[in-house]
Amino acid sequence: MSKPKVPVSKGEYELLLRLAKAGLAEASLEEASSATGLPKSTLESLLALLADKGLARVFEAVDRRIELTPRGRKALEEGLPEEKLVRLLLERDGRASVEEVKKALGGEAGVAIGIAVRSGLARVSQGFVELAVPPEEAMRRVSVLKELLEQAGQGALEEVPEDLIKRGLARVVVSKRKTFKLVAPPEQLLETVAVEASRLTHEMLRTGSWRMYALRRYNVEAEPPRVYPAMTHYLTDFIEMLRDIMKEMGFREVSGPMVELELYNFDLLFQPQDHPAREIHDTLRVGQGYSVEEKPEPSLLERVARVHSEGWGYKWRQDQALRLVLRSQTTAVSARVLAGRPRAPLRVFTVGRVFRSDVVDATHLPEFHQLDGLDGDYGYTFRELLGVLKEISARLGLEVKFKPAYFPFTEPSVEGYVRLPGGRWLELFGAGMMRPEVLEMAGVDYPVGAWGFGVERLAAVYYGFRDIRTLYTRRLDVLRRRVIDWR
Amino acid sequence: MPVLRFPVEMLLKATGMSSVEEIRDALFRLKCETDILDTGEIEVEVNPDRPDMYSLEGIARAVRGITRLERSWQQPETRPSGLKLIVDNVPSRPYVVAAVVWNVNISGEDDLRQLIQFQEKLHDTIGRRRRKAAIGFHDLDKLPSRIIKYTSMPVETTKFVPLGSAEPISAARVLEETEQGRIYGRISLRGGEHPFLVAGSEIIAMPPVINSEITRLGPRTRNLFIDVTGTDFNTVKKVLDIIVSNLSERGAIIGTVEVDAPYMKGETPLLEWKRVEISQDSISRILGYEVTPSEAARLLEYMRHRASEIRGHRLVVDVPPFRADVIGEIDLVEDIAMAVGYDSLGPLYERPVMRGSLLDSTLLSRAVRRLSIGLGFTEVASLTLTSPRLLEALGISGVRVENPVQLEYSVLRPSLAPGLIAVARENQHAEKPVKVFEIGSVVTEESGTIREEERLGMMLMDSEVSIEMLQAPLYAALRALGAQPLARAGCALPYMIEGRCASLYLGGEYLGYVGEVSPEVLERLGIEYPVALAEVRLGVLLAWKSKTRSREWGYP
Repeated sequence: MSKPKVPVSKGEYELLLRLAKAGLAEASLEEASSATGLPKSTLESLLALLADKGLARVFEAVDRRIELTPRGRKALEEGLPEEKLVRLLLERDGRASVEEVKKALGGEAGVAIGIAVRSGLARVSQGFVELAVPPEEAMRRVSVLKELLEQAGQGALEEVPEDLIKRGLARVVVSKRKTFKLVAPPEQLLETVAVEASRLTHEMLRTGSWRMYALRRYNVEAEPPRVYPAMTHYLTDFIEMLRDIMKEMGFREVSGPMVELELYNFDLLFQPQDHPAREIHDTLRVGQGYSVEEKPEPSLLERVARVHSEGWGYKWRQDQALRLVLRSQTTAVSARVLAGRPRAPLRVFTVGRVFRSDVVDATHLPEFHQLDGLDGDYGYTFRELLGVLKEISARLGLEVKFKPAYFPFTEPSVEGYVRLPGGRWLELFGAGMMRPEVLEMAGVDYPVGAWGFGVERLAAVYYGFRDIRTLYTRRLDVLRRRVIDWR
Repeated sequence: MPVLRFPVEMLLKATGMSSVEEIRDALFRLKCETDILDTGEIEVEVNPDRPDMYSLEGIARAVRGITRLERSWQQPETRPSGLKLIVDNVPSRPYVVAAVVWNVNISGEDDLRQLIQFQEKLHDTIGRRRRKAAIGFHDLDKLPSRIIKYTSMPVETTKFVPLGSAEPISAARVLEETEQGRIYGRISLRGGEHPFLVAGSEIIAMPPVINSEITRLGPRTRNLFIDVTGTDFNTVKKVLDIIVSNLSERGAIIGTVEVDAPYMKGETPLLEWKRVEISQDSISRILGYEVTPSEAARLLEYMRHRASEIRGHRLVVDVPPFRADVIGEIDLVEDIAMAVGYDSLGPLYERPVMRGSLLDSTLLSRAVRRLSIGLGFTEVASLTLTSPRLLEALGISGVRVENPVQLEYSVLRPSLAPGLIAVARENQHAEKPVKVFEIGSVVTEESGTIREEERLGMMLMDSEVSIEMLQAPLYAALRALGAQPLARAGCALPYMIEGRCASLYLGGEYLGYVGEVSPEVLERLGIEYPVALAEVRLGVLLAWKSKTRSREWGYP
């Protein structure tokens, strides 16, 4: 790092540049002004600034000079009043009446007489003015004075008789004169100084003028203005992480509609039509008069009718199966997949929104995401399903334990509890082997394991939110200030 | 899910367990979640497939089995009670069965409460809230006659003293004036007639609504007459089997009732055992866990079944009458798995490697998300369910939920606009500019037909806003996705400023719009900053991509 340059203003820099050109390291202001073409006032203030930075010294000399007053110049031209009186007296043989003097000299008569008398050139007696010294002497004394006056007029005198000043013929003029001296030749100084700039600009680089600039030092320890990065949403980040886990485990992603036929949400999952979960206060429906374009295969409906009648012993109604609900589980998508009679091995998953008749509070949302998966093949077993659940948990960094459970469409059924970092067990997975009745309705002839879990509840724990609604906050101050967990 | 409560001591005594932890562990393996309450009670959540565990005796029976204290189940002897039930044709509620139970101890307050809890849980689940099956308990010794008739009678002219009433009132008034009447009164009422149980000249019950005061249970009740009525014969039989099986666990003696009905002539309860055959092969095929047939038999006995080996690695299993959930072989396989313990089965993860994949729509969403972030837009997430008032403020409507819980969440969003405008409204004090985007599904409707599609929405709010400030980044994103949209003036959306909104097209398909939100809408919602808004139908982009040649790998 080079030695920091002394910051100077653009004007100071320009002055040094011009002095260097003129080869002046010391001079008076006047000299410098004519050499640099800068007005003296500008020079003076720039030099003062350079002196402040220790780059120049400025000296001040005091000039004392005698010069004639306007009256003095007039006396030099016309003659001094006493000179005029002496000449008058000489014309009159050394004597004239006061009346005559007044007549000849006018307004100056009084002054002339007064000076002549005081200086001993003349005297006044009984109304007459007469020379007091011989004529030659009088003329000599007058001309001595006049010569002094003349010299003073040429600026040649440093001192004059007090009398000339008192009489207002000459005055002492005092003036100050400035000179300066740079501490080093200007071309050397130019290398140690630079103009201060707050920003390096395209213009500076383009013209090369950056050389004359020193970039101002910042207070780099100060807090910068606060800005916010554009961010992905934590919930989608979490869901994308789950998708990646599923893909890495060999699952193919599928999707299905949110407004779903009861057929796929319930009937195909062996949920009897009078099951309490299908009642009005548990499942959200869309109003009457709506329909979807899709029509299920008649053969599928026939198989569903048969298996329900045989398995549950009631009369299955097709119109109920074709009603529209807001799907209560993404297992509806799994049911759709099975109804498509996929070939083995089957490994699919889906993430989507499901809807519930819940009042919104810190732990409930009217809709949330579920992740559902199907895993099946000839020879696929329940232990392998447990293995998949264990593997998913492990990839989420969680330990899992299994509890027997009940779901209408699986047997054996299992719930997977995962141990959270705090040690608490969270009921996460619902899973099981699809019941033979489900597979029969779908027309699938190999065993299939199925599992699903709610995303938001896990995401809330993952991000440390006590209130699940935080996941759907609209407050940008929350979203923008998010600290991401990048590991 | 049914939740039962018992004093901890009572459950310890009934199960023979020495600690609460032991009980909780055993119940966990029996599908039950438990919670210890401050009151010194234990709360047990039983799955709806096990109505036999809706009482203390049923839970104790299952716990003593799975903890290997007891095996199989000894059916109690039954004796004829001498009671006769004559059943008429009752179209609204055709089936009834009955039983007698002697020597039931319900003298303690807890005992009676347990009995009522048992009855309620059965009503709510297997009984489908009394619709499919309902239970009546009567004090046997107060029965006015040994012959009971089940018949249908007009509600206007039939009078009795319902439980909780001091004097006889008409059945019609029972339906109107009692709480049970209002809740359950319509289930079996048909043409002004309702089913009744009549003993002698007295009405003892009006199933499934209410019993009569005559046979009210009291502290001195020792013997019960139990009726189960309903619309499904299998269910009423099963419910009665479960009740008497469980009560017999406390030493009660079961008496049969002679039933003379259009659907049966004979004694009830039937206490039917179900015979199911299961092969060793099925067990290992389903579970992936090997057991010998004799091991399997023993495990099934711990689950209280009777099981014996027959030839060819098969078992014949007799399922006790209270196990209503067992339909076939698969249910017994689950019982075996539970008896082994799920954690002891050992999870297996040795599946062949398969190539997973994500949907194109997911991949597109990811690309759009990356681009939007790069363009300085922050992602937001909203619910699909939205408020009709918000849509109204925008001058639009959406598919309505028929039975919403809260008005605020009662319409499916037809567009991402309401959610994004709500974000604008709630961030009036946030640092500007506000630049957000959302990717999500919307539900549209055209003459009743519902369609769903995924969209990208972008919103910009600042002190001053122009369409270009949003159009430029939107086009940048679209160009990066290989699509150059065609803009046409006007977008015919009620919440946008006409003349400051463009419709976008891609390959002739309507892609979306971009423009400025109208000041009327902003004012209506209390938004004091101008807002620009854009929406893009991602399906159109997907279709466009599949039409244009894939450039993967970049080889010519």
